[in-house]
Amino acid sequence: MIGAVKPTIVENTMKNDVILQVQDLSIVYQTPRGDVMATTDVSFDLRKGETMALIGESGSGKTTLSLSFIRMLPNSARVTKGKILYSRDGVTRDILEMSDNEIRRFRWSDCAMVFQGAQNAFNPVLRVRQQFADTAAAHGKTDKAWIKQRTLELFKLVRLDPERVYEAYPHEMSGGMRQRSLLALGVLLDPQIVILDEPTTALDILTQRAIIDVLKEMQQRLNFSIIFISHDLALAAEMASRVATVYAGEIVEEGSVEDIFYRHRHPYTLGLIRSVPRLSRQQDELMSIPGEPPNLITPPSGCKFHPRCMFASDKCKVDPPPLVEYEPGHRAACWHTDKVAAARIAFAAQD
Amino acid sequence: MATHTPTAPALEAAPVPSFHLLDYLRRFYANYTVRTIFKALVTIWAVITFTFFLIRLMPGNPVEVYVDFLMNQQNMTYDEAYSRAASQFRFDPDASPVTQYVEYMGHLLQGDLGESITSSGTRVIDQIARFLPWTIFSVGLGLLISFTLGATLGTIMAYKRNTFIDHTLSLISSILSAVPNYIWGLMILIIFGVQLRWFNVGELRGTYSPTMTPGFTLEFLGDVLKHAMLPVLVYVTGSIGGWMLNMRNSTIGTLGEDYVGVARARGLTSSRILLAYVGRNASLPMFTLLAINIGFIIGGSVIIEELFVYKGIGSFLYWSISQRDYTSMQGVFLIITISVVVSNLMADLLYSRLDPRVRVSGEK
Repeated sequence: MIGAVKPTIVENTMKNDVILQVQDLSIVYQTPRGDVMATTDVSFDLRKGETMALIGESGSGKTTLSLSFIRMLPNSARVTKGKILYSRDGVTRDILEMSDNEIRRFRWSDCAMVFQGAQNAFNPVLRVRQQFADTAAAHGKTDKAWIKQRTLELFKLVRLDPERVYEAYPHEMSGGMRQRSLLALGVLLDPQIVILDEPTTALDILTQRAIIDVLKEMQQRLNFSIIFISHDLALAAEMASRVATVYAGEIVEEGSVEDIFYRHRHPYTLGLIRSVPRLSRQQDELMSIPGEPPNLITPPSGCKFHPRCMFASDKCKVDPPPLVEYEPGHRAACWHTDKVAAARIAFAAQD
Repeated sequence: MATHTPTAPALEAAPVPSFHLLDYLRRFYANYTVRTIFKALVTIWAVITFTFFLIRLMPGNPVEVYVDFLMNQQNMTYDEAYSRAASQFRFDPDASPVTQYVEYMGHLLQGDLGESITSSGTRVIDQIARFLPWTIFSVGLGLLISFTLGATLGTIMAYKRNTFIDHTLSLISSILSAVPNYIWGLMILIIFGVQLRWFNVGELRGTYSPTMTPGFTLEFLGDVLKHAMLPVLVYVTGSIGGWMLNMRNSTIGTLGEDYVGVARARGLTSSRILLAYVGRNASLPMFTLLAINIGFIIGGSVIIEELFVYKGIGSFLYWSISQRDYTSMQGVFLIITISVVVSNLMADLLYSRLDPRVRVSGEK
């Protein structure tokens, strides 16, 4: 799809299997009260076929980040720094440099996004099949027979009754059916990346289970990469191969699922994981992170987490810690990773 | 089923259908079409009955109005005038309203709207057939123009919200909808007709020039449009502001819907999103308003037609009221009622075509 357009930028800094490389991305929202620094110097790589989870509190900038990948940020947002490099068929381009028509065609055929609250993702006055056909037609695929066959195939893949859903209107389907249809629509054009923003939030626990199973199966069959945004840690742990903890618009820790859940080195990650209730743990041992996410118009000096951090020292109030690689592929931004590791081990011994 | 004995062969003891009239009626009434028609008929009957007695409670009857006229204009004595009036009208002012009602309803059930009281020999149905088309034409054209134009401008305002264009158009539409349409009519007549003399007020009276021969000629159609121009202009100015503001708000609401954002993320072209995703959904509430407005075509035309001496059903109604021509008034009220009922029915049907969510169950 992207091979048809002439690349304006070709960078060869990307490794073979990296399809999305975010470099020092900073985004601000311009508001009457001042600029909100929604993300600051975010960098990470997404490899082919892997699932990367972004975890963090509401308002930490996860959704802003993912919207920037398909250039759907609100009008008040500005990218002040950085690049988003995307690679397909050996050609690498900066998403931020694409023309309006290029970005329109990039959306969905290269990178599909399943939003949170998919209950309203379908136009209520059009049949589901018409919305599949619309999407295909917008990307130059008008062969009716192909569209129908592909649509029915995908319905089967997400375990829906193809004949029933094909002619249905959105209001004739349940929430779970709509979510599955949206997943099917997401992979209609065989994208390399699928962004899932809280894909199961509005669903009951059994439907969540079914959706996750469907997603895993789809990924195995179609081999796309997933950016998984969630504050449900259990779900993230199950889905992802790599996890990034996002706090106040920065990636504060990044690593494999095992790194993040069993060898975390950042106090915020520790707090997130300790705040998940467990049956095996006493209620009073449930830990929450004190305070609130910071005001991003005037963020705290030094490490942005220091006002809420139990390990904070004077150094933390002044110097922002750099993201340092502790093990291969495991990075954390904290001056006191040793203390965090010690606390983690102490907590684990209690359990 | 109580009559059915288990031992009896099925053929002999075919269960006698127990006939309960109420059950039967209830099942009959459950049918959508039957229910709709029944409701419409009840509405029409109620309005006819109500207006029948109401207009007879108005001060003065046709005879008295004519007696007044004769006494003032021709200096007749009351007795002279009364005997003249009574001999001219097929109307007995002393007959009881209930007798009149029974007689009227009897005729109406046979499809007979009766004769005009003040000009005997003229059937009311003929009068309506003569005047109604002009009103439907002029008000309908006005409604069509202001709906289309208003919806388009409203969409533009929503897309450009909080810009200079939006603020300007909002201001204009507020002013337009705040001033009643007959004030616009008067202002147009006085400013452009009398002061600036852009057009000849006298020439534009009526529905077409007296020198014209009606027919499907280009000349005649042009003349008809020329005469309808001013009333149509006033209908448009009087209602376009409302359409604009409604469409603007509806579109802004729709633009915030998830499915519009998802449509953008799906890479649809902006024209496809505008038409099939935003416009289609934003205009749904507009069609309900449109149907309600169709019902008010006749009622809303009275003052404007009188103002521009446009010979439509509105000015006919005005004339009948001033003459206390009961049968003519009654006829026009019947038409108004029917048009309101029918337009509401059409709105229901149209809406279910446009919005699959309200489609009647059982309908494919």
